[in-house]
Amino acid sequence: MVLNPLRFFNKFKLQTFLGITGVLFLYKIFFTGSDSALLKSTGDVLVLLTIASLVVYFSEYLGKRTINPLSLVMNVGILNVILFCLITFSGSIFNMFFDNAAEGVNSADPIFSAAVFVYSFLILSVLSYIFLVFKELYFLKQKRNVSIYFNTMIVFIVLASLTYFLRNNPELSFIKNTFLIVSILLIVINSVKISWIAFLVKKEKISLLILSVVISILFIVNLANNSGSGLHEKILMNFSPALSQFANIIMIYGAIYFSILFFTTFFHLPTAEAFDRKAQEVSSLQYFSKLITQVLDFNELAETVTEIAAKVCNSQASWIVLMENNELNTVANKNISYIDAERIGKFVLGQIKEDEKFGTLIVNLGKSDGLDKLSERYSSIAAAPLKAHNKLRGYLLSAKKGDLIFDDEDKNALDTFSDYASVAIENSRLLEESIEKERLEKELDVAREIQKKILPSKNPVFEKLGISSVFIPAFEVGGDYYDFFGISENKLGFIIADVSGKGISAAFVMAEIKGIFESLTKTAESPKEILISANQILKKTLDRKTFVSAIFGLIDLDKETLKISRAGHCPMLLLRNGSIKNIRPGGIGLGLTFGRRFNESLEEVEIKLKENDSIVLYTDGVTEAKNTRMEDFGDKLFEKTLLKSLEHSPDIITKNIIGEISEFTKKNSQHDDITLVILKWKQKI
Amino acid sequence: MAEFNTWINERSGVSVVHLKGFLDAHTASTLENTFSDIIGKNNFKIVANFKDLTYISSAGLGVFMAFIEKVRENGGDIKLASMSDKVFNIFDLLGFPLLYEIFKTEDEAVKKFEEIK
Repeated sequence: MVLNPLRFFNKFKLQTFLGITGVLFLYKIFFTGSDSALLKSTGDVLVLLTIASLVVYFSEYLGKRTINPLSLVMNVGILNVILFCLITFSGSIFNMFFDNAAEGVNSADPIFSAAVFVYSFLILSVLSYIFLVFKELYFLKQKRNVSIYFNTMIVFIVLASLTYFLRNNPELSFIKNTFLIVSILLIVINSVKISWIAFLVKKEKISLLILSVVISILFIVNLANNSGSGLHEKILMNFSPALSQFANIIMIYGAIYFSILFFTTFFHLPTAEAFDRKAQEVSSLQYFSKLITQVLDFNELAETVTEIAAKVCNSQASWIVLMENNELNTVANKNISYIDAERIGKFVLGQIKEDEKFGTLIVNLGKSDGLDKLSERYSSIAAAPLKAHNKLRGYLLSAKKGDLIFDDEDKNALDTFSDYASVAIENSRLLEESIEKERLEKELDVAREIQKKILPSKNPVFEKLGISSVFIPAFEVGGDYYDFFGISENKLGFIIADVSGKGISAAFVMAEIKGIFESLTKTAESPKEILISANQILKKTLDRKTFVSAIFGLIDLDKETLKISRAGHCPMLLLRNGSIKNIRPGGIGLGLTFGRRFNESLEEVEIKLKENDSIVLYTDGVTEAKNTRMEDFGDKLFEKTLLKSLEHSPDIITKNIIGEISEFTKKNSQHDDITLVILKWKQKI
Repeated sequence: MAEFNTWINERSGVSVVHLKGFLDAHTASTLENTFSDIIGKNNFKIVANFKDLTYISSAGLGVFMAFIEKVRENGGDIKLASMSDKVFNIFDLLGFPLLYEIFKTEDEAVKKFEEIK
């Protein structure tokens, strides 16, 4: 905030200041000792302009920092001490360098003039700064526009200073007296408008009380010295009467302002503590809103929660304990080590009874609590529950050091805050969950995409063999796989498999299986051989808990035979002459065991194909499809449906079965992939 | 969602794990934790009681595979007991009877451990 009359200087502060100072210096060197009233007045005007430019220059420097009233007051105090020293020791210093300095005041000795200039200029600078501080203090925390009062005061101070040279003229001295009196009146009025004290905390108010006494006394002493009859007064009067008067007015201003400040602060003291608490509550409210924005990052949130918790209940340390897997874990700690927090937490939370677990508990630690040195360091612990949906999620703990204990107000504050913290923590958790859910859904999208690419896009076509297949993926990819391999012109290999587990890991194993069988079918001759080789390869890559059930079959179109081997998979069904035959050769699932045990368990069956034979391959998704009562579709219903559509083409059979399954499961969601492959031998077309 | 839980009782040095409910990809971790706890206490004689188990998926079967190697390396075993026909059928299809000893009752399974001792 820059004063209106000084706006002129705004653009070139330093240049203006240096220019005016230069003019003043030259003026003083050339016109010292002149008694002409006009010359003196011109000098006065120059001096006041210098002050004005200095104030503007300083204010730019001050304005860059955030203003703390207490440090401003300190500045005034220090400057006052400097003024005091300057005034007190000016006589002796000048006498040291110049003979008869007192008489030489009016001499035209240029060196002496320069010394006088430097001295006066120092005084002038100090006064300017003090004036600037007054201005800053005046405008500090003012809610309304009050610059009119201050500007009026400045005008009168300038007038009072400029007319000071009339003091020796008894007829005209009433003019300067009038201006002075008006100035002082305005100073008093302006000094009463102090609005920044209320914003200080109690400690600051106490130091302000002491400072204001000291400073107002210093101002009074300086005022007395300034208008005394020492060398200082002579020099200043000779340099510029206006400066001398300006100094007086500043001293008066200081004395009045700081006296009023003293009393105001004094009357503010009793309410200081209440004000502090209110101010803290307000800032806590701001913190609460900060909590809401931080739910995105749990660690950041925990950090803020512990920080605010310590503030609201005036404690030194705080930490959060959360329930994870039925265990309380310390998740964030502030001003206390993790180990200490764990120990104290265990001790304190161990004392909470079942029926009290939703209230804030205060525990004062004693020596006998078995916490050794911890009980010496931390005297009182408060534990506030964190809850969500009426369930306990954890605790917010806070500790006081030394001999301090939590009082009721602290307890209430922590209680209130823990409610807010609970909401924030719960929101953060929910958000994390939904992000995780979204991530899983994305992952499943990828898995489904992989599965879609792995499965054959269309079934091979043969004259003598009708082929139909259906694959219905579950939301969580189930790991079903089927494929056909054209081994030679008259040989068709096929596989149906189910990888254990779900999701993306199952999808990757599927991809691996496809690769393995693609390559094995190029060289190996029998289904058993192929499965044994596949198992050996899988030994290197499958983890222990993953396995694959599979049936591998080989149809020789010329010899009209089917050879199959089964590794732990659902049996193959052979529909022949109106009945169903379960073809279930022995065999352990791929990846369950390796080496001889697997190889020896594996059997191979060869079937001579007959007209209208249907071969049905499926995964457990078919028989384990569930209705809302969690009942399985089951083997019986499956077989019954198959028998009903015996005479139809493979496409119709699969359609009927899928129709029957969806009729059975109704609206129940599908938990596992459903795969159904039907091959029908039809020699005569 | 169907629930799954386990509880354990000790019978002459054998940890009997009771499985109840629906063991699938979502609940398999519960059983994994149970087995980890038992093995963590250096108990390697384990009987899994399937009496109250209504369903087991391939992921559930995987849990047994995950631990069997370590248990057997330490001179113990996981024996399976009291399966319903439906659950046994799932085990049987995969060839588990060749890999695990499966008993009609929990008593028989525990007794088998005693015989070896």
